[in-house]
Amino acid sequence: MTIAAINEKLLRSIGVGVAILDGVSHEIIFANKPFCDWFGTPDQMTRMSELVEELSPEDLGEDEAEGRVFTGEVELKRKRRTLVIAVSISATRSGDQRLLVVECQNITRIRELESMIDSYSTMVERNTRELEREKERVEKLLLNLMPRSVYEEFKTFGVVTPQLYTQVSVVMLDFVDFTEFATKTDPTVTLAELNDIFTAFDRIVEQYGCERIKTIGDAYLAVSGMPDPAPEHASAVAHCAVRFLRYLERRNESHQHTWRARIGLGTGAAVGSVVGIQKYVYDVFGPAVNMASRLQMMADPMGIVAPEEMKFDLIDEFQISDFGEHQIKGLGEMDLITVEANLRPAHIR
Amino acid sequence: MGTTVYEKYGGFKTISRIVMSFYEMALDSDEIGDYFADVDMPRLMDHQTKFISSLVGGPVSFSDDRLRAVHAQLNISHSDFDEMGRLLSEALSDHGMKPADVDYVLHEIESKRAIIVTADAG
Repeated sequence: MTIAAINEKLLRSIGVGVAILDGVSHEIIFANKPFCDWFGTPDQMTRMSELVEELSPEDLGEDEAEGRVFTGEVELKRKRRTLVIAVSISATRSGDQRLLVVECQNITRIRELESMIDSYSTMVERNTRELEREKERVEKLLLNLMPRSVYEEFKTFGVVTPQLYTQVSVVMLDFVDFTEFATKTDPTVTLAELNDIFTAFDRIVEQYGCERIKTIGDAYLAVSGMPDPAPEHASAVAHCAVRFLRYLERRNESHQHTWRARIGLGTGAAVGSVVGIQKYVYDVFGPAVNMASRLQMMADPMGIVAPEEMKFDLIDEFQISDFGEHQIKGLGEMDLITVEANLRPAHIR
Repeated sequence: MGTTVYEKYGGFKTISRIVMSFYEMALDSDEIGDYFADVDMPRLMDHQTKFISSLVGGPVSFSDDRLRAVHAQLNISHSDFDEMGRLLSEALSDHGMKPADVDYVLHEIESKRAIIVTADAG
C-alpha cells in the first residue's frame, strides 16, 4: 500500500469529516465517510457552497488566499436528528494547485451537554440560594436561644463549654398574682399579654447591653456581664429593672389588665452553657441567679430588691434605701436594699 | 430515611446519560421517533433529565400541570406511551439499573399516563 493510499484510508476512517476541494473551482475532490454521512455523497461537480448554505463562494477565496478561510456551524437534519456540525476550511497548496481542506466535527453532543450544564448549574445555584436562606433562618432561630458568642462557639465546635463568669448581675422579674390572672383569663389573652410585655422587656434589655436568658411562665430573667464582660453589670440590670417597672406603669394606664411585678437583683458568679443536645437551651446557673430569684420574692409589688453589696454600684444613679437584714433561703443572713429610679433625670446629673 | 434511586445510581450524571441513550433510541424508533424530529433536543433532554430525576427522588420538582401543558398538543396515544416506557426501561437497564429499580421508575412514569396520553384512541 502506498503512503497516499494509507493516508486516504486514514482520512476515511477518522470521526472527523474531511473533504478536499479544488482551490479555484471549489469542487469536491475527496470526501471521507463521516463527511458523506452528514452532507451526502458528493459527485464530482458538487461545490461546497451548495452544501453549506451560509457559505458563499467568495468566502473560499481565490487563488492567492492561504490559511484559514472559513469557520462556522451548520445545522443538518439526519434521521430525525438535528446535527450541529462545526466546519472549518483552510487553504493550502500542493505543488501548483490550490486546495481547500474542509474539516467537520459533530458537536451536537457538546451542544446538548453545554445546555444541560447551563440548566443544571442554574438549578444548583437556585438550590444553593434556598439553602443559604434556610441557613439564615436557622441561625436567626438559634440566636433567639443563645447569645451570639455562644452560638459562634456552638457552630464551630458543635458543643458549648460551660463558662464560669465571676462578675455578673442578674435581674429576675415575676408578676404578682399571675396564677390567679391565668386561671380566670382566656389563655390566648394571657399569652398575648405576656408576649407583648416580654417583647418590650427584650427591647429594654437590649438597650442596656444585657442578655435575656429565658422566661419561665411569667418570670423573666436577664443578665449582664455574660457572655461578654460588662464592667457596669450591676447598674445595667438595675436600669433594666427600673425601666421594666416604668413600662408596666405606663402600660397599666392604657390597658384593661393591670400588671404588677416584683423584681430581685443578684450579683456574683454564674455559669452559662447550652443545656441539652436535642433541645438546646442556653441557661445560666449559680449564686447570682439564685440570689435574684430569692430577692424577687422579698420585693413589694412594683418594687426592686437587691443585695447590699450592689449598693455602691447603684448609689450614683438610683435611689437606694436600706431594707434591713433578712434570712434568705439557701443564702443565709443578707443585708438588703431597695432600688428606685432616681428622681432627677439621668442626663442632668 | 432510605437512599433514593436517584442517589443510589449516582444522581444527575447517571440520569442525564440514561436520558441521552433514551433519546437516541427514541429517535431511531419508527413508532415514536417522529415526535422528536423537530424539537429542540438539548432543551428536551434537559427537561427529561429533570423529570426523571424528580420521579426518583432527585432535587427537582416537576408539577403535573406543567407536564400536562407541554404534552397537551402532542396527541400521544397509549401505544406511544407504552413504546416510550419500553425504550426507557431498556435505557435504564443498559445503564446498570437493577430490575426492581427499573420497575419502580416505570411505575412512577405509569402514574403520569393519564396526564401525558391525550389521544382518544389508544
